[in-house]
Amino acid sequence: MSTAVGRLVRAELKLMTRDPLVLTFVFAFPVVTMLIIGGSFGTEPDPAFAGVNPAHWYVASYLTVVIAATGLVMLPVHLASYRERGVLRRFAVAGFPRWSFAIAQLVVGLLTTAVACALLLIVAVPVYGIPAVHDTWRVGAALALGALGFVSLGVLLGTLLPSARAAQAVGLLLFFPSFLLGAGGPPPNVMGSALRTIADRLPLTLVTNAVRGPWLGVGNASGSLLAVAILAAAATVVAARRAVL
Amino acid sequence: MCRAAGLGTIDGMSELDVVTVRGLRKTYGTRAVVDGLDLDVHAGEIVGLIGANGAGKTTTVECIQGLRRPDAGMLRVLGYDPVTQAEQLRPLVGSQLQDSALPDRLRVGEAVELFATSRTSDGGELLERFGLVERRKSPFSSLSGGERQRLFLVLALLNRPRLVILDELTQGLDPSARRSVWAAVRQLHDAGTTVLLVTHELDEAEALCDRVFVMRSGQVLDAGPPAELVDRHGRRASVRFTLPVGIPLDGLRHLDGVRDVEWDGRRVAVHGDRRIIAHVGAVLVRSGSVPTDLSVRVPDLEDALLGLLDGEPAADAAAEDELVGGHR
Repeated sequence: MSTAVGRLVRAELKLMTRDPLVLTFVFAFPVVTMLIIGGSFGTEPDPAFAGVNPAHWYVASYLTVVIAATGLVMLPVHLASYRERGVLRRFAVAGFPRWSFAIAQLVVGLLTTAVACALLLIVAVPVYGIPAVHDTWRVGAALALGALGFVSLGVLLGTLLPSARAAQAVGLLLFFPSFLLGAGGPPPNVMGSALRTIADRLPLTLVTNAVRGPWLGVGNASGSLLAVAILAAAATVVAARRAVL
Repeated sequence: MCRAAGLGTIDGMSELDVVTVRGLRKTYGTRAVVDGLDLDVHAGEIVGLIGANGAGKTTTVECIQGLRRPDAGMLRVLGYDPVTQAEQLRPLVGSQLQDSALPDRLRVGEAVELFATSRTSDGGELLERFGLVERRKSPFSSLSGGERQRLFLVLALLNRPRLVILDELTQGLDPSARRSVWAAVRQLHDAGTTVLLVTHELDEAEALCDRVFVMRSGQVLDAGPPAELVDRHGRRASVRFTLPVGIPLDGLRHLDGVRDVEWDGRRVAVHGDRRIIAHVGAVLVRSGSVPTDLSVRVPDLEDALLGLLDGEPAADAAAEDELVGGHR
């Protein structure tokens, strides 16, 4: 790859593999928590989990934890650090095309998400098994749009927050409530009404519903999928404009 | 406002001009950081922008690089408007920025691969020239300040630019590293590359530049070859020695070019223009007793800049320090 985007993607992917924050939050954290939470409620179908195997419920949910970790923690810290230290200015004066960095971040974010999701499923296979996918196209669309939306959101946060420390603080503040209420925490059926109202409005909950429903056959989640599509489109447009060199 | 380039030229601009700036103005809030600045850089020159911190040097080059949008004025760089035609211009310009870094975990060799376009084939040669071959696999965070500057220079030169902009190039380098970087800049000059050098190191400007622009408060105070600036604004030359027996003090006062003679006992300091060096020397040789403690101080660019910023040639402070308690 000798184009500017290609060179940026190649360099950024190498850097991701050396970044402890990425390795911890995007690769290790979802796997470890899935193993713990997935094994906490047994494997018998449970009404609290829409009548499905709780372990499978969490396997289907945790792909979106990867998406959230990429979008809310990895990318904001990465980009804010670049801006803070003048790396983007260096790219700009070196003649990298205006859109090259935005495109490269999108590609790197999506590739990282895909690899981390694959790792999560590989680990799940021997432990809990992977539940059958009832509607492959809807699940694929929800994952793709959810990843696009959160990657764009991450790029956007990275261009708005003034420093890597600020990005880390804000990112974690957004990530953990999203993680607990929207993907990896208790099922919505056991939440109190106030908590559930909040959870239902979180972007990550929409993505999780759009993935989990058609995967486990507990609803097609068309409303959530539509909302995720709108989120992805809006976030991508705004983030791309903000990340222009 | 900046006029679209590529079609028209700016008044007073010649075909040899690589950079032409007229009436550049840039304000931050209500403070004018650059205020009506004119600048020309001709092909093949090394031109220095010098001045104290806050003089507006970096803002000027950031406008030239298209990193900042001027509030007023016209700019052409290699025929392009750096604001509206940055995409066409930037591949032709190599830049070493004052405040910027690379990702901590990016290795030296990877940085070269990242910044090298397909036109480039001399990354390895540049790493060799700047003594970074052994550090090819080292992450950026492990490099010393000098190594980082040298890497930035390598990256600025990678794509065989027609214009190289170097902002505080040797900041933080040890004397040996500075000399090697200076030699590299001279090589660029010899190869016909045009260089715009921003520095507050006056010895650097004097050693490297064909012309310098002296800036203060966003304006150019004067411009020209360093030697001319020294002539115009440099302080007096001084000759100091222990007065041999038989040479009258009054005789020294009446030599051509002498403005002042100070003495403390038999220790004498003669101040004036550069001609006094020859005349005093001739008097001493004729007397047959050349003192062994003879010392000569001639103005350099630092003297010129201080004189220029002070507004008038000042007395030689070093000489005054030496002759505390002396007479005139």
